[in-house]
Order: sequence, then structure tokens, then C-alpha cells
Amino acid sequence: MNNWEPRIIAFLCEWCSYAAADLAGVNRLAYPSNIRVVRIPCTGRMSTKFILDALRHGADAIWVSG
Amino acid sequence: MQSVSGKAGNFEVTVSQAPRYIDTDLCIACGICAEKCPKGVVDYYNAGLSKRKAAYLPYPQAVPLKYVIDAKNCIYFQKRGRCKACQEFCPTGAVNFEDEAQVRRIRVGAMILCPGFVPYDPLKRDTFSYGRHPNVVTSLEFERILSSCGPYQGHMVRPSDQKEPRRIAWLQCVGSRDSHHGANGYCSTVCCTYAIKQAVIAKEHSTAPLDAAIFYIDVRTQGKDFERYYMRAKDEEGVRFVRSKISSVMPVEETESLLIRYTDAAGKRIQEEYDMVVLSVGLGVRKDTVSLAEKLGIELDQYNFAATSSFQPVETSSPGIYVCGAFQAPKDIPYSVMQAGAAACAAGARLAEARGTLVQEKPRVPERIVAGEPPRVGVFVCNCGKNIGGIVRVSEVAAFAKTLPYVAYVEENLFSCAQDTQGKITEVIKEQGLNRVVVAACSPGTHEPLFQETLIRAGLNKYLFEMANIRNQCSWVHSNDPDAATEKAKGLVRMAVAKAVRLAPLEEVKVDVTQAGLVIGGGLAGMTAALGLADQGFQVHLVEKEKALGGHGRKLLKTWKGENIGAFLKEVVQRIEEHPLVSVHLESTVVEAEGFVGSFRSRIKRGEEAEVVEHGTTIIALGAHQLRPSEYHFGTHPDIFVSLELDSAIATDSERFKEANAAVFIQCVGSREPQRPYCSKVCCTHSIQSALRLKELNPDMEIYILFRDIRTYGQREEIYKEARSKGIAFIRYSLEEKPQVDVTGNKLRVTVTDQMLQMRVQIDADIITLASAIVPTEDSRLVSGFYKLAMNEDGFFQEAHAKLRPVDFSTDGVYMAGLAHGPKPVEESIAQGQAAAARSVSLLAAKTIYTSAVVAYTSSAYCSECGVCIEICPFGAASIDNKTGKAQVNPAQCKGCGLCVASCRSGALNLKGFDQAQTFAMIDEALAS
Repeated sequence: MNNWEPRIIAFLCEWCSYAAADLAGVNRLAYPSNIRVVRIPCTGRMSTKFILDALRHGADAIWVSG
Repeated sequence: MQSVSGKAGNFEVTVSQAPRYIDTDLCIACGICAEKCPKGVVDYYNAGLSKRKAAYLPYPQAVPLKYVIDAKNCIYFQKRGRCKACQEFCPTGAVNFEDEAQVRRIRVGAMILCPGFVPYDPLKRDTFSYGRHPNVVTSLEFERILSSCGPYQGHMVRPSDQKEPRRIAWLQCVGSRDSHHGANGYCSTVCCTYAIKQAVIAKEHSTAPLDAAIFYIDVRTQGKDFERYYMRAKDEEGVRFVRSKISSVMPVEETESLLIRYTDAAGKRIQEEYDMVVLSVGLGVRKDTVSLAEKLGIELDQYNFAATSSFQPVETSSPGIYVCGAFQAPKDIPYSVMQAGAAACAAGARLAEARGTLVQEKPRVPERIVAGEPPRVGVFVCNCGKNIGGIVRVSEVAAFAKTLPYVAYVEENLFSCAQDTQGKITEVIKEQGLNRVVVAACSPGTHEPLFQETLIRAGLNKYLFEMANIRNQCSWVHSNDPDAATEKAKGLVRMAVAKAVRLAPLEEVKVDVTQAGLVIGGGLAGMTAALGLADQGFQVHLVEKEKALGGHGRKLLKTWKGENIGAFLKEVVQRIEEHPLVSVHLESTVVEAEGFVGSFRSRIKRGEEAEVVEHGTTIIALGAHQLRPSEYHFGTHPDIFVSLELDSAIATDSERFKEANAAVFIQCVGSREPQRPYCSKVCCTHSIQSALRLKELNPDMEIYILFRDIRTYGQREEIYKEARSKGIAFIRYSLEEKPQVDVTGNKLRVTVTDQMLQMRVQIDADIITLASAIVPTEDSRLVSGFYKLAMNEDGFFQEAHAKLRPVDFSTDGVYMAGLAHGPKPVEESIAQGQAAAARSVSLLAAKTIYTSAVVAYTSSAYCSECGVCIEICPFGAASIDNKTGKAQVNPAQCKGCGLCVASCRSGALNLKGFDQAQTFAMIDEALAS
């Protein structure tokens, strides 16, 4: 388990958190690569189905931000 | 701006644009120039607390996101031709040392001045140790310290040792409300609220409990919802508020802390040590603004703010030249944005005839119908010079893309966004018969519109496009691990292709705009809005409940600047009545409404008669009332007034007041109390005006103003000073010990505990005036139902964004102005009326509007008619179809947030462009490896 890295799915609102993730890039703030971002139009769109689907397909953590 | 000639309606302005030495068409904002630049420069954007390079991005969110070379600090310019590192390394050849200032002559009909403000420089004062000790910072410096793009990446640390402070003091009114040489006599309006905000955020950022103390004279949180924020900071966040006068701030050597000596509210001298001191500096006019004003020949006031009248709050003394923001007077963001709208309205009225004369139509490429075709996805993988290609192995990503289902074509680009590449992509789409496009490059945030244009030029629907973010969210943040970055880039491309395959062409809804506006409420705000529309050439229906136009303006006497409100009102009413485009509906109310942005139908009722009007936009200016208090024996004695009644009484029978020996004003009657926790904003100024008026009628009259905080913000501070100099007594009381009014026979007696003297004071008064709260009307609630408008917990209308959209409702096509939005004085109501008109005109002038194609839609077979979508939609877009009983979404009103989709328990709703199948596909591909 020592080398175990979680697989994280992030649902980011395109107006704020997705833009913030872009800004992290502009500022070259490094972070681990085991995260996949799904852009959503607003966290209002966030459905529990997405979380369940991600967990079912093997995600270890879900991050919703908006 | 170098010079101006001509006159209103036809100015010629000579503008010099400084050279930036970087071609913005070529710059891809990769930052290599800054990285390679050897010259460090103090970063003024971060208030001098950090360094940047001579080649730099002004700030991370700069628009356009393009670099610039600071010639004053660049080695090439300072040492005649050496260095050129940026030019050598720039991957696109964007650096051009031969760049020169561009002088342009621009012909305009109107000008709007919004040059902003300069913060007060506390170096002018030695009381605070500013400039002598690094842990004394200005509020602007502290703002940068709190920012994630600031000098310490948002870690709340003090400059001297970069340790987190445990105790921070904010000192208010630094350079404001101050008669010292070099300081400003006026109140800077915004500092109390920003200090509270900083204290709250500092507490949030602090890793250990932080003692945040604000040293103040009066807490002036008169803006909308600011009082509630103040209470929250005090009661819930534990920010301490210390009413005090600061004697000195002295460094403590051993701890690098600061010793504050002050006198508290009870006159006791105290000293306390703080790790850091923040000076809440005020707002002033920049020197170069003064010379700009001189060039334009506009009048300035005693403090160099643009001179304006309360009735034309954005008009300078020079016709055709308007002003907005802090150059007109110190102000916060919401009112600055309102004034910006007002200036646009005033300029728009002058330019109405010229509207649309410079418009050029873009040629339309016919759209290819792709329905029925199997997906043929084209993937374009960008190197972004070395920005992506230097880390991610782009050829590997491209080869991987070829293996993905439905991918028909893959290409690697050096710069996908370059103009020639765009042309090539257009050709490839046509040649290869592509019907979906994926670009793996920077970010959709900056480049999606550009690539969508490319699709349009190739005859593809622009929604058949998806982007994989392999720069901002991949190569730039994983540069230390090229393998991982390459793997992630492949994963992102796979996700994007999976979504692209499932994309369908979408159509933007076209709405024809009814070229008329409806204004509800005929007070100053409503009449201003109506004239704003009519002067720009649009038909207006103005609905007023009463027999006459004017609202509260009919009762008010003068503005705080002394301008006669009655005379102005008469003029406005006459203009309204004579304007051919305004139809006034008196003694009328709106009783029913339907429709949406661009196409409303409202039923206006007058007595038994009803009329239906069609309108493209709606402006709500329903006003508010002054509270009739149920305390202080109001209504039981003829000499106990509320403020407006006192005005009327003075206007009709001033003789009566010449005999009075003593007058008492009681402030905050029904405001700033638990049941009504907002400040009514106008009452402090109003009472002081009335007190001065009484003093004029009878200079021997003893006048007492019983207050909690005096909130004469901006230059209203002048009349507060005048009142004190004329001997009007100000007695501070507290909410816990409210004044008491006793009526014995005909006699009035007020008893109050003076907070400063800690003493009970009794006053035998001839007149008592209650500065009672401004309260919303019942009509607001009714009308909110007709147009589906949000209200706040106090019953005032809720704007779409408290700072940036202060006149818009979340519901498109509906705007607000005046007291129905929140308490405000005459000039702010007028500015908001103009702003509402400007917002309204931007829609009406379009004739047809296209709304977003990313909208929710229903599959009625699945709908269980539960109504959750209707309840949850913040925009009133969901409704029940009367014929079928099933839910429906009006695409013209839908904002595509997806709330209804996520809430639908039957799966009857879906969102175009972000539908369930597309999102599932992305999630599945993200995890399939």
C-alpha cells in the first residue's frame, strides 16, 4: 500500500473552480497528476448519479467544487 | 489621453497607446519571457510586497492574458541593446523591441471618465509608524497578503518574519475624516466594510485563533446587507470593535510587534501590543486625474472629485462628458457599477440617433447537417511551443488519439490557435468530412470561443466541439513529471473524445424583442428610468399607483448638498408628461404578467378598466415607505414626528418651529435592530439636515441628536462637521439602553444614557423627530410573484450579484431601481434608475436576441409532475404545460445551470451540452485504465 495513490475525479464549476484550476496553471502551482477534472456548467448540475458512477468505476475520491 | 477637440456629439480625442513590446496577436501567455528575464522589479500590483520581472503579466487574471515589457526597467532599453533574453526564447517571435507608441485619433460623441482613485499614503503621517516598520501595512497591502496570487500565496503572514500573526489591529479613518494637513476631511465610505471583510477573511485564513480588533470612530456599514455582515463579524466571528482614538503606534523591538496607545470610548488611556497593524486608508483623487480634468475643462470640487449635482449624478460640468466610480466621490463596487450604468445611459441618450450606424454584419457560412452521420472525430493536439510539448510527449498523445473509437483524423500543431493553423483546421474539417472536433491544448476558459469560430467557418455547428485541457491543468502543473503528464494528457484526450462522440448540434433560441419597456413605480427612480428609455428612442409604459407622479420626492425638501428637490421633481414630471414616447398610467397597478425576456405581457388595471401591454423589458421601481413606529409614543402627540413629516411640517408652517426651545432626534428607530437588522442609510444625513434647518429658524434652539453611529458617508461628513460647529449636540446611545420618551400632559421628556459620559441625561423637548426605518412595500411581494423575482430576507429585491450586477434580477430582462432594492438617497436612486434603463436598452436595442443553447429540456414521458424543477429553478424557466400537465423548460429563460436536471427524480430532465450520457462517458473514460 506504500505506493498507493488514490484516483480522484473532480467536478468543477466552469465559472469558478475550473477557472481557479486554470489559474493554478498560470501560476505554475504543481500538484499530483492523479486527478481528472470533469467540467460542469454549475454545481447545480452535480447529480448524485455522477458520484455513484465514478465510485462504481473505481474512483477513490470525488471532489465537487463550485 | 493627450488632447481633445470638438464638442458634445462630435469630439475628436487624441489617445497615445504606450508600446508593450510584445505583439498581443502572437503572445500565447506562456511566460517564458518572464522566466528568462534576468531583471527583478518591485511588483506594484502586489503593493510592492513582492517582485516580478521586467517582462511580466500585469496580474494573473489580466485581460487580455498577454505579457508586456516594462521598458523603464528592461535591461535592453536601459543598457542600449544588451540582453534580449525574452526575444531569444519567445517561442512565437512575439517580442518586438522596435514597438512604438501609437497615436490614435478617435471620433466619439460622448466621453465617460472612470479613472479610479488613489489610496491615501500614510507616509504623510508619523503617528502610525508606517514606512518605518514592515508590520504596519495599508489595507491595500493587506488585501494582497490575503490573496492567493499575492506575495505569500494567500498565507496570512506578516512581512517582517513571515510568521502568522496572532493579533492584528485595523485602524480606521487613516487619512479620512481627518483635518490634519495632507489628510481628507470627508469619509471614504468603503473602509469600515472592507476592514470587517479583511478581519473575517484573516480569521478564516489563520491556522490558529486570531484576535482581530477594529479601532473605529463610527462603524459605517450603511450599504445594502453590510450591517448584517458587521453583526455577523461581531457576534459570530468574534471580531472585536473598539471605539477609540489612536494616539500612537510604536514598534516593539524584541518582538517586531507594535504597541498601540489609544483612548477608549469612556476616555480611558490604554496600550496594547499587536503583531501587525493594518491602516484602513481612504480614497482620494489621483494627480493625473486632476490634469485630465483640466484638459477636459471639467469642474472639480474642493477635494478634486468631479463636481456633479445630486440630480445628474454622472454629468460633469462639461456637456457630453460623464463620470462614474470613485472619481465622482468615494464609493464601493455596487454603486460604482450602478454609476457606470448611469453614465452609459446618459451617454446613450446623447448618441441615440447614431445607434447601430457603425455595425457590420458578419457573413454566415451555411451549416452542414450532420444528423445521421456516424461520428468522425478530428483531434488536434497542440504543442503550445514548448509549453505543452516541452513536458508532455505530444506525438505519443497524438498516436494514442488515433487508437480511440470514431477518431478519423489526428494532427499535431505547434500552435493550434495561430491564425494559419486555424485556416488549416477549417480546410481539414471540410476535406476529411469531420463532424466532431477535439482540440487538446490550453483551456476552454480562454480558447473555446476561438475554436468554435473555426468550426463555424468550416460549416459545423459550434457545439460539436470539445477541448482537452492539457496545458493549464496538465503540462503547467506537472512539469516535474513528464511521464505522468503524458499519461494524464492521454486520459484527458480520451475523456474529450468520449464526450465529443456523444455531442449533438445545438440551436440557440432566437427571441424577437418587443421594442418597449415597462416601468413600475413613478417615483424619482422610476421616472428617471422611464426617461432613460424614452430618450434613447424606446416606447415606455410608466405605471404609478398614486394620483400623481413623484413618490417620496414630493415630500422631501432638499438634498444634503442643498439642492431643491421639489423644483427638480416638477421639471422631471413635466418632461415625462411631454415626452411622446412615455405613456403614463396613473392610479394603476400591474395585476398579472406573463412571458419572459424580450417578450412580456402585463395587465395594467385602473379602477375597473384593464389594459394589456407588451414589453421587452421590465423595470421595478416600486419604492418603499418610512416606518410608522410603534414606540416612543409616536402618534400620540402632535410634536412627535417621523423625519418626512417634519419636512412637511416645516415646509407648511415654519413659524411654529421658531418658538421651540429644544428638539431631539432619535436615530435608528426600527433600523439596526434584531427584527430589522439593516441600516436605512439616509437617516443620519436627513436628521442632521433637519437639525440645521431648525437651527436656522431659531439659532437659540437646543438640538440633540441621539445616535448609535453617525453614518454621514462621503462628503456628507461636511454637514456633520457643520452641525457640531453650530452647537448641535450628538449623544451616543446603545441598543441595550435605548432612549425613553415620556409624555406628561403636553410635555415631552427624553431620557437617555450617554455612552461617552456613562451618564443619564434628561432633555425636556418641544419637538421629537424619529428617524425611522425605510421599509419595503407590500406591492413588492405581489409584483415579485408576477415576474418571478427574488427578494432578500428584509423584503427588498435581490440583485443577481451584490457587487457586479446591482440592478439586474436573476430573471433576465427585469431590472430594479430605487428604494425597492434597498434604502438609498436621491442621487443613488437616480443613478440606479439610469443604470436600469441602460441595462434595459442593451436588450431592447438588439431587436432579436439569441440565448444560450446549453439549456435544460424535458422528456415528458418520464415526467411524474412532481413540480420539483419548478420550485428549484432560480430563473423561473420551468413551468407546467397547462395542456399536458407535464413540466416544461423555456429555453429563453433557462441559464443552463442544471439544478432541475440534478433534482429530477424521474430522469425526465437533461441538459444540452452537459447531458447525462456525455458526463457518464467522461467519468467512465477517466477511470478506464
